Amino acid sequence: MRALVVGGGLVGSTLAARLARDRHDVVIVESDRERLQGLADDLDVQVVAGNGTAVEVLRQAGIEECDVLFACTSSDEANMVVALMGSALFKVPRVVARLRDRSHEASFAAIAQRLGGEHVCINPDQAAVEKILSLLPVPGAVDVVTFLDGKLIIAGFPIPAGSDFEGLLLSHLRLLFPSPPVLAVAIRRGEESFVPHGEDEFRAGDLAYFAIDPHELGNVLKLLGVRRGSEERVMIAGASRIGLELAQRLEARNEDVTLFEDDLEVAEAAAAQLKRTVVVRAQATDREVLEEEGVERASAFVACTDDSSLNVMACLLARRLGAARAFSLVDNPALTRMVGELGIDAVVSPRLLTVGLAVQFVRRGRVRAAAALMEDLIELVEVEVESGSRLVGPPLAELGLPRGTLVAALLRGKNVIVPGGGDRILVGDRALLITSTARAAELDAFVGGQ
Amino acid sequence: MNRRFDLHLLGWLLLVVAGLLLVPLVAAVAFEDAPGPFVSALLLAGVAGAGLVAVTQTKERNLRARDGFLVVSGAWAVTSLVGALPYLLSGSLGPVDALFESVSGFTTTGSTVIADVSALPRSLLLWRAMTQWLGGMGIILFTIAILPLLGIGGMQLFKAEVPGPVADKVRPRLAATARTLWGLYVGFTVAQWLALMLCGLSWFDALCHALTTLATGGFSTRNASVGEFSSPAVEWVVIVFMLAAGMNFVLHYKALTGRWSDVVRDVELRYFLAVVGGAAVLLFAVLWDQGKGVHDTVRAALFQTVSIVTTTGYVSVDYELWPHAAQFLLVALMLFGGMSGSTGGGPKSLRILLALRSLRATVHRFIHPHAVVPVKYHGQVVSDGVLSGVAAFLTAYVLLAGGAAAVVTAAGYDFATAVSASLTAIGNVGPGLGAVGAMDNFSSFPAAVKLLLSACMLLGRLEIFTILVLFSRQFWRH
Repeated sequence: MRALVVGGGLVGSTLAARLARDRHDVVIVESDRERLQGLADDLDVQVVAGNGTAVEVLRQAGIEECDVLFACTSSDEANMVVALMGSALFKVPRVVARLRDRSHEASFAAIAQRLGGEHVCINPDQAAVEKILSLLPVPGAVDVVTFLDGKLIIAGFPIPAGSDFEGLLLSHLRLLFPSPPVLAVAIRRGEESFVPHGEDEFRAGDLAYFAIDPHELGNVLKLLGVRRGSEERVMIAGASRIGLELAQRLEARNEDVTLFEDDLEVAEAAAAQLKRTVVVRAQATDREVLEEEGVERASAFVACTDDSSLNVMACLLARRLGAARAFSLVDNPALTRMVGELGIDAVVSPRLLTVGLAVQFVRRGRVRAAAALMEDLIELVEVEVESGSRLVGPPLAELGLPRGTLVAALLRGKNVIVPGGGDRILVGDRALLITSTARAAELDAFVGGQ
Repeated sequence: MNRRFDLHLLGWLLLVVAGLLLVPLVAAVAFEDAPGPFVSALLLAGVAGAGLVAVTQTKERNLRARDGFLVVSGAWAVTSLVGALPYLLSGSLGPVDALFESVSGFTTTGSTVIADVSALPRSLLLWRAMTQWLGGMGIILFTIAILPLLGIGGMQLFKAEVPGPVADKVRPRLAATARTLWGLYVGFTVAQWLALMLCGLSWFDALCHALTTLATGGFSTRNASVGEFSSPAVEWVVIVFMLAAGMNFVLHYKALTGRWSDVVRDVELRYFLAVVGGAAVLLFAVLWDQGKGVHDTVRAALFQTVSIVTTTGYVSVDYELWPHAAQFLLVALMLFGGMSGSTGGGPKSLRILLALRSLRATVHRFIHPHAVVPVKYHGQVVSDGVLSGVAAFLTAYVLLAGGAAAVVTAAGYDFATAVSASLTAIGNVGPGLGAVGAMDNFSSFPAAVKLLLSACMLLGRLEIFTILVLFSRQFWRH
C-alpha cells in the first residue's frame, strides 16, 4: 500500500515509521528541510520538501497513486485543506485528518460527506481524554483497553514484590480464577516484551497485561494489593483543552473534580463552563494549595498542562503528598518510558494515541478494532470471524497461526470464552488476537487470507 | 556503532561476491579455461562470508551514520581483495598487480597493469569486466537490492556509496529504489550489448564492452581499447551509452516514467551537456588542422571528450599524437566528472556547478558588501552546510591529487605522467599521459606507487569522506 503523510512532526514521523515497518510505501511531505533530512536518514521512506497545501507539491509526492492520505501538520486548517483536496481533486480512497478543534471536525465531516471515499478525523485531545477515562475505573493499572463490546478489559499492572503473583506460573492462573478465567496476555520484563505461555512465571517488577472479565476485576486488584484513595475525587492540573474536557466528562458522571489552573483568565473561563467542579487558581506544583485541597485523599491526580516536564513534576509531587494514583500527559516518546519508572502510574501521550488510531484506520476492514501495548511492541486485534476465514476449522493448537500469536478471548453470542489449545473458533465468533508488533503484518495476512 | 551487525553485513557481502564468482566459473568451464582460480576464490570468499555471518548473528539491526562509513569502506576493501584472487591464483599477475587491477576494476577506473590484455583467458576477461560493472552501480546497492537484510539505517549505506552530494530515492523504500536503479542499469547494459553485436562485434566483445561502458569503467578486451575495432558505428554506440552512464540514473527513471519536463529542466543535466558540448567543440577546433576529415575529427573529438568527462577512459585514437593543447584539455576535463547519481567518477558536475555559483556569489559580495546573495539551485537556496561540504570536498580532492602527484614525481617520473596518473586514479578515469598514456599501462610503476594509486581510486570512488572519517580518532570513540 502507498501512504502519503503530510506533516513530519512527532505524529507524522511516528506514523511514517510504523507504516514503513509494516512494509508500506510511505512518502512524507514536510516544509522544514532540516527536519526532512533527519526523516530521510532515519526512516525507510521517501521525503518531499514543500508545503503540503500546494497542489503541485502533493502531485510531486505522488498523491495520484496513494491509497491513504494522512494530514497531520500542526495546523487544523492546513489539515482540512490537505485532506479535502486529497478527496476532491485526487480521489484518494481513504483520508485521515488530525483535527483538534471540535468545530473544525464538524465542518470537515459536513464537507467530506459530499465527497467520495472514506474519511476520518482524529482528535488527539479527545483520544487522550478517552484514555484517561478508561484508566480511572481500574485502580493500579498503567494502561487499559476494552474489547468485545466492553465485555473484556485488557489492563496492565506492575507486579509488586511480595504479592501473590510473584513466582506464580502462568498456567496456575486458571486455578486462582477458574471461571471466568483471567489470562496474562503480555509481559514486559526489563527491556524485553513478549507474549507469554503457560510455563512462564511472574516476577516482581514485571509489567503484566491481563485479559479480565470486568466482574472479576475486584479479585485481581485484591491479589495485586492495589490500594485505593479514601475519597472518590479526581484532581486535574491545567485547564488545557484536555483538562477542561476531562472535567466536563467526569462532571457528567457525577464525580467530584478539582481543577487547578495558574492563569486567571483561563481559570475564570473554565469556571464559567463547569458546574460542580472546584476550580482553584494555583500552579500545578504548588504544594500548599495541593495539600489544602486534600490531595492525599484524591483517588487520582491527572496533570494536563501543555508542558510535559511540568506535568511530570506535578505528578511526582502529588504522589509524594499521598494521591492514590497520578497520570501525566507527556508528548515526548523519549521521556515516556523513563517517567513510568519514576513512580507515575500512567503516562498518556495524545500524539502517540493519534498515531495508534491512524494505524488502526489503515488496518480496518480486516480487523474490527486494534490497539497497541507497551510503546507499540505488542499488538491486539479484534476480528469478526466470517465463513471461509482461515481461523475457522481445526483446534487452535493446529491452526498454524504465526509464531507468538495468542487467541486471548472469543465472544460467542453473549459469552466471553477464554479458549485453550483444543478449542475451535466458529463462524460468527469475535476473536481477540495478540501478537508482537514485528509479526502484526504476518497476522494481518493470515486473518485477511481466505 | 553497531560493530557486530556491521561485520554481519560484511559477511553477507562476501557471500554475494562468492555467488557472483559463479559467473566466471561457469564461463571458464564453457570456454575450457582453467576453472581452478575461480573455484578457490569462490570457496575462500564463501567460507569466510558464511563464518562471519554465523558468528555475528544479532537482533540489533540499526545503523548509524558511522556504521554506514565503516560498512561501505570495509565492503569495498574486502571486495577488492576477493576480486584480486582470480588474477593472482591464475598466475597472471603478482599480488600488488592483482590488487591494483581489482581495485581499478571495482572503482571503475580502468587503469591496467596488463600489457597484453588479449592474451588473458576469456573467463578472466569476463571477470575483469564484471568487476567494473558491479562497482559502477555499487556492490552495496546490489546487495540491498537482492537481500532483505537492512532495517532502519540502510539509507546510511546508500548515502555513503552513491556518488554526489545528494542521494535521491526513486521509490519510497530503499530496497525498491535499489532494485529500480539496478533494473535500469541492467536494461541499458543489455541494450548496448545488442547494439554492439549489431555493429558486428562478437557476443563476447560486445558483452564485455557493454559491462564496462555502463560502469564508466573503460576496461577493454583489446590492447588498443575501442580504437582497435576501427568501426565508426561501434564508436558512436559507445559514445551514446557513455553519455547515458554519465547521467543521473534518477533522470533516466523519470524519463522512462514519462516525466520528461523534469528531465529537460534539470539544471545539472544542462550544465553537464554544456561542458561536454563545449569541450568537444574546443577539441574539434584544436584537431581540425590535422586534416582527418569532418566526420573522423568530430567523432574523435566527441569520443575522447565523453570518455574523459564521464570518466570511462576508453581510447579511440592515440591522443598522445595530438597537439599539447588537446592533451591539456583532456587532463583538465578529468576535474569535472559525471553527474551526481551516475556511475561516473570525478568531483561530479553538481559540485563544480555549485562551486562556480558560490564563486559568483562571492565576487558579487565584494562589489556589494551589504548585499544578500544566496546561492540557488533549482530555484531553492542552497544551505551553507551543503556549500561548505562542496568546498571541503574540492579542497580534499585537490590536496589528495597534489600529494599523490608529488609521490609519483618522487619515484622519478615526469610532471605530465605524475599529474595525469594521480588525477586519473582519483577521478576513476583510466588512462593518463606520458608513461601512462593512451597506449601504455601502469605496470612500470614501482609497487609503492601502485598501492598509493589503488588507495586514491578507492578514495575517489567513495568520494573521500567515507574513507577519510575512518582516520579520525573521534570516529572510533563511543
